Amino acid sequence: MRTIQQMSTVVTVRNLSKRYGGLLAVDGISFSVEEGEIFGVLGPNGAGKTTTIEIIEGLRKPDGGEVSVCGIDALREPERIKELIGVQLQTTSLYEQIRVKEAVDLFGGYYRRAIPTSTLLEEVSLTDKRDSYVSQLSGGQKQRLALALALVNDPGVLFLDEPTTGLDPQARRSMWSTITGLKQKGKTVILTTHYMEEAEQLCRRVAIMDHGRIIALDTPEALIAGAGLESRIEIDHPSETLRSLLKQAELPARISDGDDKILLHTKNSSQVLKEITRMAADNDIDLESISVQKATLEDVFLALTGRQLRE
Amino acid sequence: MRILARQVRLETRLFLRRKDDLFWTLAFPLFFIVLFGLIYGDIVWDFFELRAIEYILPGIIVMALMTSGIMATTSGFAEERERGIYRRLSLTPLKRHTLLGGQLIQRYAVILVQTTLLLIVGSLAFSIQISGNLFWVWLVVTLGALCFLSIAFLLAGLIKSARAANGISMIVFFMLMFLGGVFFPNEMMPEFLRAFSNALPSTNLNDVLRAVMIMDRGIGEMWRELLFVGGWFVVSLLLAIRLFRWE
Repeated sequence: MRTIQQMSTVVTVRNLSKRYGGLLAVDGISFSVEEGEIFGVLGPNGAGKTTTIEIIEGLRKPDGGEVSVCGIDALREPERIKELIGVQLQTTSLYEQIRVKEAVDLFGGYYRRAIPTSTLLEEVSLTDKRDSYVSQLSGGQKQRLALALALVNDPGVLFLDEPTTGLDPQARRSMWSTITGLKQKGKTVILTTHYMEEAEQLCRRVAIMDHGRIIALDTPEALIAGAGLESRIEIDHPSETLRSLLKQAELPARISDGDDKILLHTKNSSQVLKEITRMAADNDIDLESISVQKATLEDVFLALTGRQLRE
Repeated sequence: MRILARQVRLETRLFLRRKDDLFWTLAFPLFFIVLFGLIYGDIVWDFFELRAIEYILPGIIVMALMTSGIMATTSGFAEERERGIYRRLSLTPLKRHTLLGGQLIQRYAVILVQTTLLLIVGSLAFSIQISGNLFWVWLVVTLGALCFLSIAFLLAGLIKSARAANGISMIVFFMLMFLGGVFFPNEMMPEFLRAFSNALPSTNLNDVLRAVMIMDRGIGEMWRELLFVGGWFVVSLLLAIRLFRWE
């Protein structure tokens, strides 16, 4: 068990619990976030992700547990935390009748130090919208403004609650690259998501939550490897020679033979791939269409809970 | 202090950009003073020995106080609360009393502007004699502002949803206006209504304002009415503090 004040630990949560009526929304969870990492909290809706990070941010009071942010007891001294963190809520509502530039100025004015508005708008690509009213922004632009407001005090720790929910694929990719950029600036990012691609793409470590508990916590690769899941290698329209060669070879894989394709299920995809390419080269066979599908966090969630992440 | 000034600026900017607030607080009362000025002209209401328009001007000022003090404040606060604006602001170092202070100062400023405008229009366009002491007028208007703002926050505390807050504050406003002797003396009302009317803050404020502004009576003569308005203020304020909700 880690001690609360370890040098590189930015956020520590211990035995956190929160009850709403009869429902244990957060059920005694513990984790810590290292400086400079993107830490993902992944889980279906209602798993307790938002409640958890809103307690850390100081928006909700827990029923039990400890939270420390940058070495400060966040439950005892929430005011001191505010200068150090940035928060993007799931939906950020602002005064509709103010301009983008005014909104950033306004929020900057609340902090002891603030990044200049023009720099910030540049960073979230809203420079050309700076004179637009908040009410005129699209969903993606509103999210980016919310991010700008979260960044206005140049915080070391950022909390992003479902930053890409409801965005179209293009806006999502642009948000991803912005978040990756934040990590490169050395910021610690804690984000919640119910998109497993998002967690895999962005996060160094992922905590998978379900029913208020953390059911797994590790790097995406380790989670997938640890769940003992198989990758799937698919060869479309294999020649008869290849078919029989694959069956004769003693590969560490289960082979299922379809009419126009062969599937190989394996936990050791790199070895199997090596064997197949060697076989193809030795026998002068064209591997026209071969694809590998690795197990995803979605499969990990399915393996852990027996349910799909998104119902 | 710097942040409070910034909040007042923000609230003023928001106010000026909200068309409905501008209509209700500025256009609506001005419309009524002009309308009644044209209808009544020089007609005199005997039982007051006043011109009808002289009777009505203080009432319109009370009405104006209620449009910004009650209507705009209750629905504005409930809406911003419901939209999660205060929740987002609570994550910043902005103190909640500064946020609230900014709103109150801005509302009060609007009330002073409304009153001044109505006094100017009343005296220039309809040659109403403001014979009373303007300091007393200011004091009574300030007491009215405090009273109505407290009622507004009491309503905002009682009512959760923005839609309901909007509707109910409108009903409260119209009730206080029509039963408060704004457009016609409550001496014209049936007995049972008059008793109710006499208990309302708008009626009492109206009487005090008319007395000190038009009839040139001393403010001391109106102590009973003042006490009534003060009572409404204190009770509403205490309840508003108790029931106040940011979320």
